[in-house]
Amino acid sequence: MSSTVYVDRGSPVHRLNPMTKLVAMLCVIVIVFALPVWWVSGLVLAVAIIPVAVISRCGRTLSRISATILLPILVVLFVVQGLTFPGGKTALVSWGVFTVTSEGLHFALGIGLRLVCLVLASVLLVLTTHPGDLMSALTARGMSPKFGYIISSTLQLIPAFRDRANAILLAQQARGLSVKGSPLRRIKIMMPLLGPLILGMFTDVEDRSTAMEARGFGSTARRTSLVPVPDSSVQRVSRWVMPAVSLAVIVVPFATGAL
Amino acid sequence: MIRLDGVSYAYPDAVRPVLENVSLDIGRGAIAGILGASGAGKTTLAKIMAGFIPAVDGGELSGTVSVDGQGMGDLPLAEAVSRVGLVIQNPFNQISGARYTVREEIAFGLENFGVARPEMQGRVDEVAELLNLGPLLDRSPYELSGGQQQLVAIASMIVLRTPVLVMDEPTSQLDPAGTRMVFDVLSTLRGTGITVVIFEHKLELLHQHADALYVLADRSIVAAGDPTDILADARLAEWHIGSTRYTRAARAAQDRGLLAGLQHLPVSLEQAVAVFADDGGAR
Repeated sequence: MSSTVYVDRGSPVHRLNPMTKLVAMLCVIVIVFALPVWWVSGLVLAVAIIPVAVISRCGRTLSRISATILLPILVVLFVVQGLTFPGGKTALVSWGVFTVTSEGLHFALGIGLRLVCLVLASVLLVLTTHPGDLMSALTARGMSPKFGYIISSTLQLIPAFRDRANAILLAQQARGLSVKGSPLRRIKIMMPLLGPLILGMFTDVEDRSTAMEARGFGSTARRTSLVPVPDSSVQRVSRWVMPAVSLAVIVVPFATGAL
Repeated sequence: MIRLDGVSYAYPDAVRPVLENVSLDIGRGAIAGILGASGAGKTTLAKIMAGFIPAVDGGELSGTVSVDGQGMGDLPLAEAVSRVGLVIQNPFNQISGARYTVREEIAFGLENFGVARPEMQGRVDEVAELLNLGPLLDRSPYELSGGQQQLVAIASMIVLRTPVLVMDEPTSQLDPAGTRMVFDVLSTLRGTGITVVIFEHKLELLHQHADALYVLADRSIVAAGDPTDILADARLAEWHIGSTRYTRAARAAQDRGLLAGLQHLPVSLEQAVAVFADDGGAR
């Protein structure tokens, strides 16, 4: 049973310093949200995120996780915006009182592509960066180990939550609980499982906290590291260059009146 | 090595204390087993010994806890844990999740205490050799069995070189193979000078490994002494602790009119064989 979503592929992306990946992810997110044009997000997706995903050899896992997160959001986004966008004038499809407009879909495309970039970049970071390396990198840069751990352990929360939920569900199914039926019935069945799930998570958190403190996590000594997190001068420079380039990419179109 | 004098403790807002006037004295390098029914206060006592109470849980603690003559009462938690190591029940929850391999997991505590890298490497290798963890060092802690994960948790404590190691029901969530692994560690630790306090329900294994047993019941230590004497004590049933299967077999035999006049009931296989052989011979 793993407690992280990290996928060890040993790719060049995996070998990058976590700070480099974190800075790159933040730059991508800032660019796509600062420039309100759909094709910017499309371009970032095509020239940055997808190639990095391919190099990382985590494409399949990335697609699966991202689709699970994004599909419901995108469906709702396109339906709602396509039908109700206030500036919608060009009707594409009409069905009774409902009309899907070109402007609504265009708006949904812009928002949707930004969300796709946000989710893909974040999940890619998590898939290619071990939480421990991220914590070490953050701590090495002066961040409180506790804060670093909160960030890295948050990344582990989802798989830990999923594993426990599966265990509870299996235990209940072994006692004859049927989870078949309509979505509403499934939700109704799942509700009583939330109690043990949440209480169990509280116990886990207390246990983990005790185990961490027993190993001196609360110590004020300056941390050392058995295995140094890999870094290089090229990466150190790139961590300054990437934000500078991002800033330029955002400012120049506005300064020149292109946007 | 670790000594408790008149320790009483009540959780915050509790109506009555969990522990009252607990006193015990466990010498350097000894392996002491503490027995107690569920709810007797074993985990509370373990946390008091390790300095987590009252530092983390709050409440009112009176009496003194000392390690090697030095009081633990006023120490900050980070300093207390450098004197007493604590291993808890759930092996999975003791994995930090912050490290990728078993080697790094064992070193995690040393990193927190700022130990220099060359010394860390030496200490990790030393503990891995002691507990025979070498083949696991480069694996992910999440890939290990429960027993192996518990060994890693123990190694993570031993590497800190705390003079005392408290183990709170370390085998309660393990299968027989994992349980055996953990108890084998006790044999390994014998002679290293580490004082081990183990809270356990597995009476036969405790009989094999412990130098002394203490019984926690009615909020205090009600019996202490040699494992054979303690495990043969008829009052164990009153304290809801049970007895070994050999003792139960001997009692059942007595109920059927066998082993008449036997004063000391057997608590181990060897003793049972001797007792039944004598009885058979007498017939």
